[in-house]
Amino acid sequence: MNEKLALVIEDDYDASMIFAKAMEVLGLHTEIINSGDAALERLQHVVPAIIILDLHLPNVVGSDILRALRADERLIETRVVVATADPRSAELIQPLADLVLIKPTMFSQVRDLSARLLSVPRNHGRRTAEAVD
Amino acid sequence: MQFVSSLLDIRSIDAEDARRRQLLNILLLGVAAIAVFALVAATLTILSSPQSEHGENLIMIGGSVFTLLGVGLLYLLNRRRAGWAAGALFLTLLTLVFAFADKPAEVAAGRSLFLFAIPILMASVLLFPAASFIAAVGAGIIVSVISVVSLDILPTMPAILGFFAVALVSWLSARSLQRALEDLRVTNRELDQRVIERTRDLAAALKRVQSESNKNQAILESIADGVIVFDHQGQAIVANPAITQFLNFPIEHIPGRDLSALMNGDVREADRNMMLGLLESDEPGRSGIKFDWGRKTVSVSVAAVRDGVGETTGTVMVMRDFTREAELDRMKSAFVSTASHELRTPLNAILGYSDMLQEGVYGELSDEQDGAIVRVVANTKRMLNLVNNLLDQAQIEAGQLKLRPSPVVIHELVDELEAIMGVLAEQKRLELVCSVDESAPDIVISDPQRLQQILVNLMGNAIKFTDTGSVRLRIYRTDAAHWALDVTDTGPGIPLEAQGFIFEAFRQVDDTVTRRHAGSGLGLSIVKQLVTLLGGEVSLISAVGRGSTFRIILPLTPIEEQHA
Repeated sequence: MNEKLALVIEDDYDASMIFAKAMEVLGLHTEIINSGDAALERLQHVVPAIIILDLHLPNVVGSDILRALRADERLIETRVVVATADPRSAELIQPLADLVLIKPTMFSQVRDLSARLLSVPRNHGRRTAEAVD
Repeated sequence: MQFVSSLLDIRSIDAEDARRRQLLNILLLGVAAIAVFALVAATLTILSSPQSEHGENLIMIGGSVFTLLGVGLLYLLNRRRAGWAAGALFLTLLTLVFAFADKPAEVAAGRSLFLFAIPILMASVLLFPAASFIAAVGAGIIVSVISVVSLDILPTMPAILGFFAVALVSWLSARSLQRALEDLRVTNRELDQRVIERTRDLAAALKRVQSESNKNQAILESIADGVIVFDHQGQAIVANPAITQFLNFPIEHIPGRDLSALMNGDVREADRNMMLGLLESDEPGRSGIKFDWGRKTVSVSVAAVRDGVGETTGTVMVMRDFTREAELDRMKSAFVSTASHELRTPLNAILGYSDMLQEGVYGELSDEQDGAIVRVVANTKRMLNLVNNLLDQAQIEAGQLKLRPSPVVIHELVDELEAIMGVLAEQKRLELVCSVDESAPDIVISDPQRLQQILVNLMGNAIKFTDTGSVRLRIYRTDAAHWALDVTDTGPGIPLEAQGFIFEAFRQVDDTVTRRHAGSGLGLSIVKQLVTLLGGEVSLISAVGRGSTFRIILPLTPIEEQHA
């Protein structure tokens, strides 16, 4: 697995810039993808360490991407941080995500929480309690 | 029998006259029967022994024929003429027949004497009660004349006195009979009158009911909402034409069908079961239940139908076409959601970039630059808060703010609040004290997010308006079914005149305070509406210079999941 890769799947330019910067600061190689289908395509070829995922995406919605990548054995160690403005859909996908952030999400918040997530290996299918607190 | 009674029947406006003449008819019939019997008997005697002397038999035949003729004439007279004429003639003839039917000695003082009692008795009932005396006088004269003229003896006084005694008895009994009959007739007349009056009243009442019912029917038929009434067996008994906009049945086919049959595949299984459940519940009384019926959205109100003494006799459902409102709701909801997204996104970007600048991502900032960024962040957060409040208010008004019940651990709630509010209190050097009484519940089923929103709002206000002293949160139980949260501050207090409107939207106590402590004036309005949604009440205890306590009392019973 490529320890260095972070995928920011976000269609809003500003949000993607902020998330990408937070990943860069953590020393990760960062790619920004701004549509759902492109994200699915890209995930066929790479194994990111962490994905920052928006739920409102063109073509394929974030929850479908989340389900697809959780069904993929290759991506079992990939951390997924969902960033959404909609608390209701956040609640629905919570069990599949490592962390759910309700927008507005601050740069420092994404940076610090992601750093803590990456510092511990991902237990199969479970969120790590420390990472969330 | 019919024929006989029609023969005897007399029509007269005077009931007493009719009774007398009818009685005469009966007597005439009796006499005629005797005459016919005598005629037949005499004829048979002559035919059976042709050789014998037949003088007496021939006289009997002649007498019988003569009697029959007389009876016939009297009958005709009786039928045609009202009054005593026929009766008097009949009695006279009868008396004369008795006078000449036997030997003078027998008539005046022998076996035929008692026969005169018959016309005397009859006179009192056939003519009038006192007529028996006239008949007695007549009989007395006849007997006296026969005694003196034919027999040349003095009349038998005991016989004549006997006539008068019979006349007296007969007069008395006839008179009481007549009075009894008269009373009976009066009673009957009164009864008839009463029946007529009752019938008239009944007809009037019936007419009233009919017109009332017509009016009600007209009202029912002109109601734009569909109305349908079900009896205890769940069968439709009344429906108005407006109901056919939902049902695929002509109105006349509705009565007698049950709800399940009427809904007929156009309604989803779950909605149908919900409706049937409402109909079967003992205490139906719900309104504004919405579901899709075919291509329409229906809003239904259900209520029990009660009779005059409060017994339920069935269930009435009123169905309103809610399609357009539902569409507007959806549009409003879509608008709120879009506005929410569109307003928050740029604010979030501003916060994000400011945060990056503050964090030194683009290099170290000078103190002045840092100060400017702090102001940018503070103002953006204020703006974001305002947007959030407006959107909450819009959602509450649209009835779209749905509760999500889940267990709330009271100590966790308090810990979270201490973490959030502690920073703010510290900035203003205020003491923040959160306490949970022994009596307080450990866990309640409520909406944690909304509960926290309420308390953040109240405690945020308390911190905002208090310059020195403390802000306290106390959680305790008020009674077996309720728990309470008190947010108390040592701030300026709220004047009495403001306490009435403080929970209204867009209101703040006075403009100077508002200007100093920026806010939309929506916070307390949202608090009140959220508390109401959670099934509780919020109240205020405050006086100028004495601080304020906002008290929220919530039920311990779990809140219910709301359907979208």
